Amino acid sequence: MNLTLKIWRQKDAQDQGGLVEYQVENVSTEMSFLEMLDVLNEQLVAKGQDAVAFDHDCREGICGMCSLMIDGQAHGPDKAATTCQLHMRRYKDGDTIVIEPFRAKAFPVVKDLVVDRSAFDRIQQAGGFVSVNTGNARDANGILIAHETAEKAMDAAACIGCGACVAACPNASAMLFVGAKVSQYALLPQGQPEREKRALSMRAAMDEEGFGHCTNEYECEAACPKGIKVSNIARLNREYLRATIVSD
Amino acid sequence: MQAAEAPAQAAPCRSCRAVEFLESSIGKKIMVALAGLFLCVFLLTHLAGNLILFLGGPAFDRYAQMLESNPLLPLAESGLVILFLIHIALAVRARLANMAARPVAYQVYKGKDARTPGSSTMALTGTLVLVFIIIHVATIKFQVGGAKGPDLFGHVTGWFHNPLYAGFYVVALIGVGLHLSHGVQSAFQTLGINHPRYTPMLKKLGAAFAILIALGFISIPIYFGFFNRAPATMQTNGSAMPIGPIGGAQ
Ligand code: HEM
Ligand code: FES
Repeated sequence: MNLTLKIWRQKDAQDQGGLVEYQVENVSTEMSFLEMLDVLNEQLVAKGQDAVAFDHDCREGICGMCSLMIDGQAHGPDKAATTCQLHMRRYKDGDTIVIEPFRAKAFPVVKDLVVDRSAFDRIQQAGGFVSVNTGNARDANGILIAHETAEKAMDAAACIGCGACVAACPNASAMLFVGAKVSQYALLPQGQPEREKRALSMRAAMDEEGFGHCTNEYECEAACPKGIKVSNIARLNREYLRATIVSD
Repeated sequence: MQAAEAPAQAAPCRSCRAVEFLESSIGKKIMVALAGLFLCVFLLTHLAGNLILFLGGPAFDRYAQMLESNPLLPLAESGLVILFLIHIALAVRARLANMAARPVAYQVYKGKDARTPGSSTMALTGTLVLVFIIIHVATIKFQVGGAKGPDLFGHVTGWFHNPLYAGFYVVALIGVGLHLSHGVQSAFQTLGINHPRYTPMLKKLGAAFAILIALGFISIPIYFGFFNRAPATMQTNGSAMPIGPIGGAQ
């Protein structure tokens, strides 16, 4: 099939940028969305033009590197899928597709469709860990955890930090990401010693990066490729309120 | 990563912690939600009081007199003003921060259908409610303009004889309904209340509350504006039984 692409081109962080129209021909329905962009880039390079910069790594939905706002939807139209898992069979001959970078003040554009998501790393470094002294390996079943609790913690830990929640949020809020990271530890006994400090520090780091306030629109949950639930946002609200009241 | 690198350490004192909470994104939203829920309690009592209009002039004026002669009324009114100020000030600040959080807008933004008519118009309906409240309080409480009846009942129903005024009430109250259709259930989430067993119930409760409040209030301008346009002084409904503590004492 043949497609018209309108892609956001921006030389660097300072450049104004804008949508540029491209035609791609002979796109197979078996291709992934990123492979389709690879085809476009080969055509551009063959013509001596600058290839479209976009992020990707594993191309199997586990690393969280790919991004893209496709026709106004983070990671495109599919549910619970990353852009690298989106296939061209979703489209038909003659379609026009608008491709933009994830947009937030905290995710500045580096080039074209590539944005800097290191704000997430800094939030994570503020408290998204448990401090463990090295020594002998503990017995695997030394700490008992109820199955339901383990499941909830694992569901939260499925977050790959891609930033689709921020991109999809009308307020560019990072609450789903931070909610998942806080929840995954708050639910488990290993997370308890740093529980309050974590909630306070990660909230502070999140606000410092300039993400928006959550107004419970739930576009984040709808866009999340890993199906992270907004109940994690409620838990973050609880954890932060609790930490504010009880911590020293 | 070592814990020592955590940037924002615990606030050094209790009051600093409170300030930090109120300045935080989550803290602001929690205060907006709490103030919003208290305002909902006010709406319920206000609706109950206003529905007494349907019992006719004497009953309504007795109710109004009972309210106005209550020495605690100024206290309740101040509380109400404070709730509004907290709700509006923090909601507006959150809104401004949210606009700043995405300086470059998308050329195309579609989302995945999670937003509702209520959720995507909160700032708009909130502003409409604010304009409504100013007009409502000015005309009804401070009696600015309008065809003055001999009593409060006559004054209120007299206003509704103006179709423009009654129509504005209907539009504004649809705005209140929309605001609440998102606001009530959203407030519970903001307060951290989300559970597979209760959340579906709370969402239904929020929708039912929004409909009850909107339809309940709208019935008043519709009835007195379009169906019962008898001169205000004639409103001595025979069914106006003594009600409330004052009526009972008579
Ligand atoms: C009787 C009057 C009102 C009631 C009962 C009410 C109730 C609520 C409730 C329950 C919320 C939800 C809080 C949350 O999401 O956590 C809310 C949010 C909000 N309200 Fe109000 N409100 C009223 C008047 C106003 C006014 C006068 C304004 C502004 C001028 C306003 C602006 C907002 C905004 C901007 C939000 C946040 C939007 C969001 O979370 O999506 N409200 N309101
Ligand atoms: S490239 Fe790794 S998740 Fe898409």
